[in-house]
Amino acid sequence: MMLSSGSKSFKVAFSSLGIILVILVALPMVRMIMSADPEIMRTTITDQEVMASVFLTLGAAFWATIFCSILGIPLAYILARSNFPGKSLVEGLVDLPIMIPHTAAGIALLMVYGRNFFVGKAFGKIGISFVGTGVGISLAMAYVSLPFLVNAAKDGFLAVDSKLEHVARTLGASPWQVFFRVTLPLAWRPILSGGIMMWARGISEFGAVVILAYHPMVAPVLIWERFQAYGLKYARPVAVLLIILCLLIFASLRWVSEAKKEA
Amino acid sequence: MLLLDNISVRLGNFAISNLSMDVKNGEYLVILGPTGTGKTVLLETIAGLHGLSSGSIFLNNKDVTNLPPEKRHLGMVYQDYALFPHLTVYGNIAFGLKLMGKTAKEIESIVAKTVKLLGIGSILKRRPRYLSGGERQRTALARALVLNPYILLLDEPLSALDRFTKDRLRRELKRIHKKVGVSILHITHDLSEAFFLGDRLIIMKDGAIVQKDTPENLLKQPKNRFVAELLGIENFIPARLEGTMAFIKGFGTAAFSVILPEYFKEAQSLYLTIPSWGIELFPKRGKESYLFITKMKIVGLNQTESDIEIEMKHCSGPGLLRTTLLRREVSLLPVSIFIGAQVTAGLLKESIHWVLPD
Repeated sequence: MMLSSGSKSFKVAFSSLGIILVILVALPMVRMIMSADPEIMRTTITDQEVMASVFLTLGAAFWATIFCSILGIPLAYILARSNFPGKSLVEGLVDLPIMIPHTAAGIALLMVYGRNFFVGKAFGKIGISFVGTGVGISLAMAYVSLPFLVNAAKDGFLAVDSKLEHVARTLGASPWQVFFRVTLPLAWRPILSGGIMMWARGISEFGAVVILAYHPMVAPVLIWERFQAYGLKYARPVAVLLIILCLLIFASLRWVSEAKKEA
Repeated sequence: MLLLDNISVRLGNFAISNLSMDVKNGEYLVILGPTGTGKTVLLETIAGLHGLSSGSIFLNNKDVTNLPPEKRHLGMVYQDYALFPHLTVYGNIAFGLKLMGKTAKEIESIVAKTVKLLGIGSILKRRPRYLSGGERQRTALARALVLNPYILLLDEPLSALDRFTKDRLRRELKRIHKKVGVSILHITHDLSEAFFLGDRLIIMKDGAIVQKDTPENLLKQPKNRFVAELLGIENFIPARLEGTMAFIKGFGTAAFSVILPEYFKEAQSLYLTIPSWGIELFPKRGKESYLFITKMKIVGLNQTESDIEIEMKHCSGPGLLRTTLLRREVSLLPVSIFIGAQVTAGLLKESIHWVLPD
């Protein structure tokens, strides 16, 4: 197809600007991966502390996402479908973790879930401690990354025509059946996308986690610690390993989600 | 069958106040009104999707006011059909039956009957996005009919279609109604659709019923200018009422003795309405057939492929009239017509009505 000179220049300009951004994002990653010493990489992969830290990071972020899905998907549905006094305030609260410094979020979490406040004490009594534990890591990750899931799910629900839900009701479906048979099957893609984003954001979290649970060490904390103690040479392989793993996981998840869309 | 007893609904800034109406068993009732008049809200309220602030809804003599939509047993078809995009045509039709807990075999046999009635056997495996407008409409109808509802609620089901499909499908709707015998409440803003399908019409404006009657009676006596305009009447001549005499304006001095319905009692002004067919150019009947005959000057001509709309102004007054003639009728006129030409126009007595201002 022949393009007019106007559309050609438009396309060239936009593509060039887009490519610049892609390069800006990719260059540090490529440089870091390329400069990793293969020998140190090998020892890093076999280093039990590193692998435990990577799996702890992936696992804690995964459980944070699951936990937030159980609470966040219903909240997203209510925000998408209902109008109530204070709705804007709730939406603002959901967005808040994106805006505040994550170290501040960590301090706020420590003040509530630490041992000096009744919430932390109450959980302590049933054997759940948040300071210096995996649960605390998940909590910190959940707190700072939940806006990604809730907002994506809300947009997903908004995209489902409410008339479909109305018709389903007239066809005999209860509100629960409407949600599970009509709304969720139509909104799962943006919800999954939001879940992936939340998981990703959780994995990369440093500020809030380091305040609430320095130990056990998640990968970003381990990278920081190795950088502080041994320098760039030893911090870099852990970072490279995390980047490669994340790239593989998220690319596969995106591929699965897109492949389903094509089907 | 369906009875709305003095219902009021409030949704944001929109309100339906103290509305009462009924749909009889097996009746095809059409609600006609301009867009934004509350027709869809009314239908959704009947379906149980909006709560009432007062009044009651009865279905088959049972008070269903507080029943949720899934317990009311009525079918709904929206303007855009609202087919479930993640399900095939079969999945859409079987949706309600599955919820009822029927076995796959039972579902198959019930669906087969409805599918046959609507002639959509060949598209059962398709997804809604691959269907034409007509196929979507039939699927939505099948999905509602398969549950054997007390009443079918149709929300402008033909307005998203092209003219040809629309004409075909309104005949189809009539056939299905006759065959199944289900009561239908159909809302539309399309006059010809309302007249083609409705046993009875309800005219709605701003959340309230303005007039309800059979199509013939409505045409015979539209209550006010709004109803008359909605019924396609284009000519409104203002008149002043003094006792039983009406004095019209704009067409020289003319007064007529009138017998008016009870609701004109308090009125001082009214309109004389004449539909397009009630204006005869170069009148040929006896003088007694016409309210009056007068000289008019053509001031505008608007053409379509099949007819010509003629706008005329009274020769000695500001009175305007408009009539539409088929091209064949224009060719039979004794003189050729053009802007500025003078014609004689007769207002047929049998076509005129007196209506109240809004």
